[in-house]
Amino acid sequence: MGKVMVIDIGKCNGCYNCQVACKDEHVDNDWTPIAKPQPDTGHFWMKVTDIVQGTVPKVRVRYMLDTCQHCDEASCIPACRSKAIYKREDGAVIIDPEKCRGAGDCIKACPYGIIYWNDEAKIAQKCTWCAHLLDQGWKEPRCVDACPTGALTFGEESELQDLIAKAEVLKPEAGAKPRVYYIDLPNKYFIAGAVYEPEADECLEGVKVTLIGADGRSRGTLNTDDFGDFWFERQEPGRYSLRVEKDGYLSKTIEPIEALEDINVGDIELHRESAE
Amino acid sequence: MDTGAERTYIKNTGKSSFGIGSHVAAVDVKDGKILRIRPLSYDWKYKPEEFRPWKIEARGKTFHVPLKTTVSPLGLGYKKSVYSPNRILYPLKRVDWDPTGAPGSTGPGGRNTQNRGRSGYVRISWDEALDLIVAELRRVIDKYGPYAVFAQGDGHGETKTIHGPHGCQMRLLELLGGYTLQVRNADSWEGWYWGTKHVWGGEPFGLMPHPTNMYPDISRHSDQLLFWGCDPITTTRGFNGGDYVGLFCSFWKEIGIRQIYVCPDLNYGAAVFADKWIPILPNTDAAMQLAIAHYWIEHDLYDKEYVATHTVGFESFSDYVLGKEDGVPKTPQWAAEKTLVPSRIIKALARAWAAQATSCVHGFGGGLIRGPYSHEPARLEAALLAMQGIGRPGQHSFCIINRAVFGSEDHPAYPPSPGSIINNPNLNLRSTYRGYSPFPYAGLPKQFIPKTLVHDAILKGTFTIHGSSLQSSTAEEQFVKYEYPVEGCSPIHMIWSDAPCLMTCWNDSNQIAAAYQHPSIECFIAQHPWLENDCLFADLILPVNTKFEEEDICIDTESVTFEMLYLEHQCIESLGESKSDYEIVCMVAERLGLLEQYTEGKSIQEWIRYGFDTSRVPDTGLIDWETFQEKQYFVVPSDPNWEGYSAGMYDFYRDPEAHPLETPSGKLEFQSLNLTKYFPEDRERPPVPHWVEKSELHDERLSSARASKFPLLCVSNHPRHRVHAQMDDHTWSREIVSCKVKGPDGYLYEPVWLHPSEAAKRGIKDGDICRIFNERGAVLVGARVWERIMPGVAYVDHGARADFIVSGELDRGGAINTISPHSVTSKNCAGMASSGFLVEVAPVDLEALTREYPEAFSRPYSETAGLRFDRVLVEREN
Repeated sequence: MGKVMVIDIGKCNGCYNCQVACKDEHVDNDWTPIAKPQPDTGHFWMKVTDIVQGTVPKVRVRYMLDTCQHCDEASCIPACRSKAIYKREDGAVIIDPEKCRGAGDCIKACPYGIIYWNDEAKIAQKCTWCAHLLDQGWKEPRCVDACPTGALTFGEESELQDLIAKAEVLKPEAGAKPRVYYIDLPNKYFIAGAVYEPEADECLEGVKVTLIGADGRSRGTLNTDDFGDFWFERQEPGRYSLRVEKDGYLSKTIEPIEALEDINVGDIELHRESAE
Repeated sequence: MDTGAERTYIKNTGKSSFGIGSHVAAVDVKDGKILRIRPLSYDWKYKPEEFRPWKIEARGKTFHVPLKTTVSPLGLGYKKSVYSPNRILYPLKRVDWDPTGAPGSTGPGGRNTQNRGRSGYVRISWDEALDLIVAELRRVIDKYGPYAVFAQGDGHGETKTIHGPHGCQMRLLELLGGYTLQVRNADSWEGWYWGTKHVWGGEPFGLMPHPTNMYPDISRHSDQLLFWGCDPITTTRGFNGGDYVGLFCSFWKEIGIRQIYVCPDLNYGAAVFADKWIPILPNTDAAMQLAIAHYWIEHDLYDKEYVATHTVGFESFSDYVLGKEDGVPKTPQWAAEKTLVPSRIIKALARAWAAQATSCVHGFGGGLIRGPYSHEPARLEAALLAMQGIGRPGQHSFCIINRAVFGSEDHPAYPPSPGSIINNPNLNLRSTYRGYSPFPYAGLPKQFIPKTLVHDAILKGTFTIHGSSLQSSTAEEQFVKYEYPVEGCSPIHMIWSDAPCLMTCWNDSNQIAAAYQHPSIECFIAQHPWLENDCLFADLILPVNTKFEEEDICIDTESVTFEMLYLEHQCIESLGESKSDYEIVCMVAERLGLLEQYTEGKSIQEWIRYGFDTSRVPDTGLIDWETFQEKQYFVVPSDPNWEGYSAGMYDFYRDPEAHPLETPSGKLEFQSLNLTKYFPEDRERPPVPHWVEKSELHDERLSSARASKFPLLCVSNHPRHRVHAQMDDHTWSREIVSCKVKGPDGYLYEPVWLHPSEAAKRGIKDGDICRIFNERGAVLVGARVWERIMPGVAYVDHGARADFIVSGELDRGGAINTISPHSVTSKNCAGMASSGFLVEVAPVDLEALTREYPEAFSRPYSETAGLRFDRVLVEREN
């Protein structure tokens, strides 16, 4: 079965411990035959990316973690003309730093873009799952050891089936059979806003807000909270409209809403029927 | 020391100083080099049952204490501090400082104090450096008396016990007859110190009294948390135990406690945990708080019975709120104009707060508590909590960085009365610590200068204040009048600093630059591991090693998880000719014939053993010295009775007569009896908390005429990727998008956050290099244009290393405090106001600047680490 890594984006608060721990392990340390030293900057074998979406005051930051997917059908392995890349029994894909001749074919072949060029050593490098440590009896790579939030889990595939069942892989269409799984990937978005009554200068609570998909079907209904806020969480990217209704008020439709990222539709005015 | 084989040592990586460790890490060392720094598993050499892991059960879920330390990325990357290209490797002398020159002399053979901050340096030997120090100390003391020597030795830095780092020189100066002390103000909690002490006591910090068992009580009883003007998950990266706060914020999310953030910026906590973000203009919180009070009074939404039995002075407060005092009712509409928070949001928040168990949460160092008149929003928060019955389960003001996850009566997060944060009765190394600590409050020396007034003391030669500003002193001490210089004491003529960071962390530091250049300061000695900030104004610079290069012993009493005592073995040889602060002072003491007295006759190893013996750990009977040496650490078992201790102000809530507060009335004071007695005419800190639009000290509102030229309000928080002035050289941080912005010249500039609407008005794009400025000077910054900041605001963290293009006028390094307000918090409060001030941001023509200042733009610079040690070196002149 081998090892897997499960990355729960929903648990990550962006501390960057994983990115930094990786550098602490690999910069200035030579772990040949698993890896030669990583350059001090510019390589991110575990890479954190800040994703800032929405508009004031409905904004969130999520942190995407990109790393070698240690694929079972790794396209880097056949792409390497020096046969320097191999798969270990535990599933880890390793670029042998002594066999690598620096052709760079693997960098082009990787569907995930996570192989880096070391310009000083003239070799390709990437995450090794800290195989030199696993071989010494470590249970997990440095990034996982340093993660305080539980966003990173590493272990036997057979023992992590519950997590894997909730997870997805990146670019399944590439057919690479990755050994890294993701929960709560930032590929679904919020559609949020706030409803208020300008004449009363009040937030409107209990307004029924319905999210309608491009097919005209409802994706769900929410009641606004005491700030008049509504948040439709984790919606598929696409085109939507919103129906905003409250007894005694003129209903309103907000459209179109292009939700290709998190969307704050802003403050929605609702007027009383009698106000007409 | 290691012998080539891989060995594992223990080092704390927190930057608290004062001998209080946190972020304790396992350090793997091989071949004289640090291999890796990683979290330490508490159960490395103990069974969990030996230290009793605790858990909190709340609302059907369970929070389990982590079984390893939560080291932050600053700790994991500590190597970058140790091996920084900015390390000072040998003693340096300012090339144009001739100590044989007369005071005030210029030109060849002169002291040339006017050139400080611009001069180059030459390498000298330790012998030469020590001769110079001893000669200057003797000369200055002979001529002016001991108080002419000013000791700067306080604040945060590396956390060591025997080796300081701050204040080792003070014990020697004491032996020489005394010195003038630099007094550190309550820099990250000014408002609580100057404000809430007069509402609820809470000595010595002014935070809510008795913050025991906050985490379990909030988890069980709070419906809603207001994270007001702070980022809960940033300060703790530097000390206080790392990411445990994030774990709790996650837990609260899981159990459905609503988390509302009130702040101009979508800070790092808000970015992931906020259920609602209410953006508010910097330092206008007091207006919104008054409007909430107004709404409650108008709609009868407060606890009248509690107010009657637990408080004094509500009537005058109510009169002010309703406008009976000044004709201005503090309505939500009134507040909306000042805060830019829509009045409907203020009303909704007021209703939600009145209806649900609500606690306010803080993390130190946010904008709420560090602006002009910061005592006003602080006092108003206490007033609002009082109106809803503070002390009732789930209703607190919780400073999240104190370690009262759970507690005990003799072991609260901070002592309920003047005491020591390293005076924990269960575990301490207080008598082993060789640095300076203001805790416990033991009175004040004959002459001192608050950190906030160093520039005035030197440039104006005098000041008069009430209250020393010393962090550990009492509310009563705030009414004592002090003058400088003290009769019979000389003004200062020499500075000996091991905390050279006023330039980037204190108020109006462009004036600090001017002060350091003043001819009255005849000699300036700085000792530090890195060549930065105030060091560059010193005449002599001494190389200090990092904690990895020393033998030491330390405690962890700041982490929320477990307390520990541990040996800190030397991991690597000292770099260059560096020594510890303690060792440097020992060398000076030896030349003065005072070594035996200074060291109390103990070697480093003897101090370590003494530390173990006096730590109270042996009293537990659980471990002896031999076992401790073998294991290197001891985890103090958690208190088995912690669940039984009452949370927060619950006892006061239950029975205020039996459990009085440390206020004159023993009750919550809407109108402070002390302020009424001592400063009835103070318009900035009146007896009842007020909104202060402007005063003779500060004119930093959008209503000011100044705002036509400087229309943005600057908010400045504790930095995310540094600890104050420290660790600005971590290459692994500097490549993070929120840490620095790379200019077209390859220089990594400190970011300024701007809303896209404000950037567009100024023709600024994300990544552009800009100037942020006001009358006090200008700082180059890199634009980070995004939705994490509200319109009308510019955000720059403090602590970036100054890199002056024009000393005292134009900085390239991003030291925003160079242009922060000069004046103290308010007339009778010598705190600092380093957030909430007017600025403008404009694009800058870097090429033109480079042509204008070729020297500044061509200094040696590391494109990854930034400033380099060798940038100030000049060939030794014959």
